[in-house]
Amino acid sequence: MASSEDNPTDHNAEILSIDAGGTMTDTFLMDKDGKFTVGKAKTTPEDESRGFINSSQDALEDWNLNVEEGFPDLVSTVYSGTAMLNRLVERESEVDVGILITGGMEDTLRMGRGRQSYTGFSYSDRLHVNTHKHPEPLIPRDQIRGVRERIDVKGNELVPIYEDDVRESVNDLLDRGVDHIAVMFLHAYQNDTHEHRAKEIAEEIIAERDMDTDVMLSSEYYPTLKELPRLNTLAAEAFAAEPSRHQLQNVQDAVDDHGGEVGVRVMASHGGTVDIHANELARTLISGPIGGMIGANYFGEKLGYENMVCTDIGGTSFDMGIIIGNDWDIDYNPEMARLLLSLPMVNMESVGAGTGSYVRVNPTFDKIELGPESAGDQVGVSAVETDVETVTVTDCHVALGWIDPENFLGGDMPIDREVALEEIEEQVAEPLDMGVYEAAQGVVDILENKLRNDLEAVVTGEGYAPSNFKCLSYGGGGPVHTAGYTKDLGFDEVLIPEWAAAFSAFGCGAADFEYRYDQTTNIDIDADLSMEEAAETAGEQLTDIWKHLEDKVAAEFENSNIGRDEIDFQYHILGQYQGQLNAIDIESPVSRVDTAEKLERLLDTFENAYRRQYSEEARSPELGHTVTQASVRGVRDVVKPEIPTEETHGPEPPAGAHKEPRETYWDGEWVETDIYDLHALQPGNEITGPAVLEGAATTFVLPPGHETWLDEHRVHHLSDSA
Amino acid sequence: MPESYPREHIEDLVDDNLEWNQLHDMMSDFKDADRFQKVRDVLQERVDWDDPIIIPYADHLYVVAKSDDKWIIKCDCGHEFCEHDENWKADALINVRDTEEEYLDIYPENMHPHPDYMELREFFCPGCKTLLEVTNVMPGYPLIHEFEPDIETFYNEWIDEPIPTPEQTA
Repeated sequence: MASSEDNPTDHNAEILSIDAGGTMTDTFLMDKDGKFTVGKAKTTPEDESRGFINSSQDALEDWNLNVEEGFPDLVSTVYSGTAMLNRLVERESEVDVGILITGGMEDTLRMGRGRQSYTGFSYSDRLHVNTHKHPEPLIPRDQIRGVRERIDVKGNELVPIYEDDVRESVNDLLDRGVDHIAVMFLHAYQNDTHEHRAKEIAEEIIAERDMDTDVMLSSEYYPTLKELPRLNTLAAEAFAAEPSRHQLQNVQDAVDDHGGEVGVRVMASHGGTVDIHANELARTLISGPIGGMIGANYFGEKLGYENMVCTDIGGTSFDMGIIIGNDWDIDYNPEMARLLLSLPMVNMESVGAGTGSYVRVNPTFDKIELGPESAGDQVGVSAVETDVETVTVTDCHVALGWIDPENFLGGDMPIDREVALEEIEEQVAEPLDMGVYEAAQGVVDILENKLRNDLEAVVTGEGYAPSNFKCLSYGGGGPVHTAGYTKDLGFDEVLIPEWAAAFSAFGCGAADFEYRYDQTTNIDIDADLSMEEAAETAGEQLTDIWKHLEDKVAAEFENSNIGRDEIDFQYHILGQYQGQLNAIDIESPVSRVDTAEKLERLLDTFENAYRRQYSEEARSPELGHTVTQASVRGVRDVVKPEIPTEETHGPEPPAGAHKEPRETYWDGEWVETDIYDLHALQPGNEITGPAVLEGAATTFVLPPGHETWLDEHRVHHLSDSA
Repeated sequence: MPESYPREHIEDLVDDNLEWNQLHDMMSDFKDADRFQKVRDVLQERVDWDDPIIIPYADHLYVVAKSDDKWIIKCDCGHEFCEHDENWKADALINVRDTEEEYLDIYPENMHPHPDYMELREFFCPGCKTLLEVTNVMPGYPLIHEFEPDIETFYNEWIDEPIPTPEQTA
């Protein structure tokens, strides 16, 4: 197994970060000096705690520890599981959910939205109308009941709630044996009185009938605009997240049983971790690629990098995200399992291209195409123990000599170069009448061009100049392609941490203990008001909402016995000029805006952010402002991983870092290439391409014309030699 | 991607019996090389006459070979319409709905076009009386000729196969 060093000595396992994927549970373990090791075990879906313990054990073994010896030292444990997501993807759950919705809106889930008919599909399937299809709703139509009532977009009552409708519907749903009743009325984020009245009535009936059905309100969980994502999310909470609580409790019990004294936290989409007893659990459905963003941000804060572009290549996808001023953007309507949700999620762009992407020749146009399907963690045809039949990008790396067949995943995965060559010849080279190496090089070029275009679109498409950013490259497959996909884009610097393969897990370990609540608002700050008048009206209104959200955050921390005085609160708004369509996300410099002076500071912050994002000329304060959403984040300190700091040596790599040179293929030629042991290099070492730097879980390829040096934090700085 | 799907899979495709995910996979993938010939074979097997199908033309309609150089449009009941490059609709039975009353036979009130503005033409097969096509056009508009297949180009340049002739199947 991979490890940051060779000889196990005394370690205190302090930070444990576990990612239970569909097939494997990965562990990232770090001690107080920033030394880390990783472990793996099969995921055990029926009781995830077994896979959790096995994977922890596998990691601890590298340090000659067992679970009983290792767990008592833990000070931070972050878990991300997969059971919830599977319930959503499979549309299968142990629980039945009934829905009460505004009368006339009963088909909301079935009708969906246009966007939901192609969301989550590959580019070409999104483009072509014949491949669009509305996904199956989470809750079948016969478990949905309409209640006559109506609140308008401003929160006024247009039609009072018909309480008999509620009684009849609740009785009916209880007769069907539902475990949860989810209530979602239109515009309840503006006025929640009808939802609360429905809950009172439902709970009376449930008590009368002596049942223990649970009632959930959209206004309590997700008081945000747009009824479809709000209802999807509420349904996901009841349908997928609630049933996972006992799995998480099992994991906590497993920690306790083995002498651990640490509360297990779960990675959540907003970029922080939450307690397993959190009221809102659905946001832990989505954690996937955001671990890397969190790790990158933490890394940037520690090392003084404010603006970063994060790039992560795995087997199936290329994920990109932007960090500016050490903060990320939030996507308020992310997609998961083909459902649009109403959750705050760290914003990332993902394209379906990775090292496991299938390589095929399009028979109509005789050209090479990649993906969108991939072999994922099955690697490729050259991985002889798998049953992959289609050539992948990794097979091409193997053919070109970039990847050492003996050293793939530290030798854990047997790779046969001959098989790769035969299959590339048959599937790609022959149909195109090309040489096999030429074809393999062609595949790599196509992938890197595609990644470069996507990356450029993400950065310049947002109006940013790459020269203001450090590009950070990680993921198991990242460093093979970094030089290729960053070429000529003009980033300030290109950085590759040595622990690239474990960077996402590192990021989960670096995540804050954080809750975040958002609420849609409709607060106008008219331009003709004096600042005093505005503070008394709009300012008071926003302050009240912040206080309410603050209470919700504090209530979440109370579940973990953490008091208000230990929480660091942050206040955000989405703000825009009146009449505009797009709002920008602002962190408020003040926690209250009920005085003229404080409100002015908030508006100044907005003006500055607007100027930065658009331009001075685009500012239009004469239109007045609208606050469309208020958010409160509460953060509590946790122990974070250390970034290693080592002594700097000279530019010459030590003798022990050299491995047997071999021939590799570059631009039509075989070149004798230096091979290095990635982990044996010393800070200060400089290497000029062509070279291949081999680590336990990742390979860093340095093409001709490129050079790299290793800094004291074991981060490589890649640049063109020119 | 399979180069070729099993015969049963193609039959299910023709009958619209595939699950959505199977259909989606077929649409997203490169097209299987022998799709056209397989579909043609399935359709040929299902008609009661022996003229070889050259292409499926529309629902129930085919272009079939009567000889090496005579290709006609034929219904699956056996009724023969016209040459493949002519408009079969001219030989069909036509019902025109151009009054309020006729529209109300099939539409709810106020949910149909105004008869002065749009008329509905229904085309039936003279042989089996199957409704083959409906067009909705302004009164006086000529018959729409939807499709004039370029059979030589399709066979010679797209799929690189000989054009079926009656002798082949006989």
